[in-house]
Amino acid sequence: MNEAFLRFVAVTKRYGSRAVVDRASLIVAEGEVVALLGPSGCGKTTTLRLIAGLEKLDEGEIWIGGECVATGGRNLVPPHKRGIGLVFQDLALWPHLTAEGNLDFALASTRMKRRERKERIAETLRMMRAEGFAERYPSQLSGGEQQRVAIARALIARPRLLLLDEPMSNLDASLRRQLLEEFRSLQSRLSVTTVYVTHDRAESEALTARIVQMEVGRICND
Amino acid sequence: MKADPTGKLFSHRAPFLPSSRALTLGAAVALFIVLCALPAIYMFGLSFTGADGHPSLENYRRLFAESRQRDLLRTSALLGAGASMLATLIGAPLGLLLARADVRGKAWWRLALVIPLIAPPYTLALAWTWLAGSIELLAERAYSLTGAIVVLGVSFYPLAMLATEASAQRVDAGLEEAALLVAAPRRVFARITLPLIAPAVAAEALVIFALAISEFGVPGLLRVNVYTTEVFTAFAALYDFGAATALSAPLLMATFITALAARLVIGEQMLTTRRGSRIGLSLTLDRCQAPVIALLIVLVALCVILPVGVIAREAGGLKLIVSSLNDSRDAIINSFALAGAGATFVVALAALVGYGRARMRTRWRWLLDLAFITLFAVPGTVVGIGLIGLWNHADWRGEIYASRLIIVIAYLSRFAPAAALLLAASVRQIPVSFEEAAVVAGASWLRTFCRITLPQMFTGLCMAWVVAFIFAIGEIGATALVAPPGESTLPVRVYTLIANTPTSNLAALTLAQVTIVFLPLALFALFVRQREGAK
Repeated sequence: MNEAFLRFVAVTKRYGSRAVVDRASLIVAEGEVVALLGPSGCGKTTTLRLIAGLEKLDEGEIWIGGECVATGGRNLVPPHKRGIGLVFQDLALWPHLTAEGNLDFALASTRMKRRERKERIAETLRMMRAEGFAERYPSQLSGGEQQRVAIARALIARPRLLLLDEPMSNLDASLRRQLLEEFRSLQSRLSVTTVYVTHDRAESEALTARIVQMEVGRICND
Repeated sequence: MKADPTGKLFSHRAPFLPSSRALTLGAAVALFIVLCALPAIYMFGLSFTGADGHPSLENYRRLFAESRQRDLLRTSALLGAGASMLATLIGAPLGLLLARADVRGKAWWRLALVIPLIAPPYTLALAWTWLAGSIELLAERAYSLTGAIVVLGVSFYPLAMLATEASAQRVDAGLEEAALLVAAPRRVFARITLPLIAPAVAAEALVIFALAISEFGVPGLLRVNVYTTEVFTAFAALYDFGAATALSAPLLMATFITALAARLVIGEQMLTTRRGSRIGLSLTLDRCQAPVIALLIVLVALCVILPVGVIAREAGGLKLIVSSLNDSRDAIINSFALAGAGATFVVALAALVGYGRARMRTRWRWLLDLAFITLFAVPGTVVGIGLIGLWNHADWRGEIYASRLIIVIAYLSRFAPAAALLLAASVRQIPVSFEEAAVVAGASWLRTFCRITLPQMFTGLCMAWVVAFIFAIGEIGATALVAPPGESTLPVRVYTLIANTPTSNLAALTLAQVTIVFLPLALFALFVRQREGAK
């Protein structure tokens, strides 16, 4: 097993008096894929948002790649400097930008030259088999196409850590199987450390051998 | 439906009889067309007839032969554009601040900053003339286009503020969070947040433009010749009905084009008031808290305290105020009663029409939005003359025209379209499944509407009532033309007293007007706060 890349140490997040994540701990090795499995409302999405820096934790620590990014109720590293790619449950594709524009914006903080960015976008869209709809707006794409663009956007900046929040939940069963298969082969090629949130055991089993069970804010079975 | 063993879902209605839903909504739409659309259609149609009643372009020939038409067009356009720009420049940043920043006492700032919108524009115009008259530097500008732009800009900035705040709250938090993972907040704000709210801000600027060019009270008081004042003069002073109708045509076209542009810019968002459960990109003020609060204090001082203070100063002592109010007691009571009745009828009609719009499935439903905005922006003077033409006849219509009911009809004509737009948005937030569940349980449409839909719309209905009341109690353009003799309202009385009454009397009445309008709003704010707290 590789060295621990993501360390989520005794993290607690409260909304009012209710702890949605309660002293949860999780360690993910570099290049590993972990499925975070649990029923709705158990704190999976909040865990992902804490890792991404979109929420502030109340207690505990989060380490990414050997660097402490959040501790003692504070985010030490802002989201855009954590090297994270996140695929949202509703995909969150920016409606006023084309597929290409969505990917281009994701390269905003890399200071790449325009030509390099173009090449990277073309390469990533090709990798996701999405090169045909670079010029289309999200509203002009089907559910599966939007999914591919969302994953391409999360991967384009070559993140150190990929987070996926139930990305297949809005797709039909056959498309989900197909995309899951493609995602597995993509992941094995890229070896990016991945946390995949789902409430579907079959989906998590199809993706990885390591399934972490979460219930009422706690990680109870790793 | 046939499968239901209890028989509850079986329709006992004969197939040729319309449903209660079709009947109720049909009647509401017919009433809406007669009361709200017909005056504008009538005016537009009449502009194409000659003095003998036959089709003719004579009115337009006369209109375009006058060289001052160009000046009129220029002044109207400048007034609209200037007021819209000023209102947006002040209101849009405030809206963003209220939506995204952690300003201390946000609710109170919002309430204070919205006051210029609820005070009728003519009250601000009077304050401006008294203020400019007492400052040498501004004395020359007291009665000028600049003055009118400033007054309307201040009057309408809360619209820009509220529209921007609503659209900034509507932005899906996920879109900004996705951007925050790859870019710094400043860049996210510039490239994601601003483009997402820009259409709403542009549409709001267009709506303010339409409202400014259709405003009558302010240019009338500040002696700025624009189309609305010319329409009034042509009809009320020169008794030239043909010229008045022809002068209305450019205004009607301008409001239609502006409404169309607003609709194209903003699309379906006009009927969406979804509020995200969380904010994606929030602005933490930290050390900027004090300067921002200072800026807000300056704005409230300039736009709220200064005008109200000037009016209070001009009103003199309490004794004078009480005596002025006593003299105008009938007008004050009339204003309250008519605005209250008007707002109630407006909400009743708009609830049905708005419901119909929200549940429409045709792809042409956007035309109805367009009609709502266009009709709302039709100037009061144009509506007033239209109502006179339609109702001043020697039959049953004449009896209505000679009564106070004509003022309520004027309020309906002017404000039901805006209320319908507001309530359509409110209905859209209620899932259709709520009504379907009631129908499956055997409830009739009417019962479902009264017991399920209306209670869900409660806050929207209250808000629409308050908005209609505020607009109605400050209405001057249509009321000045249609009010029967001896049935004056407060704004009409102020307008007619300007020429021959001491300033202190005018100021006292203006102060009463501002207070009357502010009270229901403050009560409503308190009520909403308590309701939200209870939830």
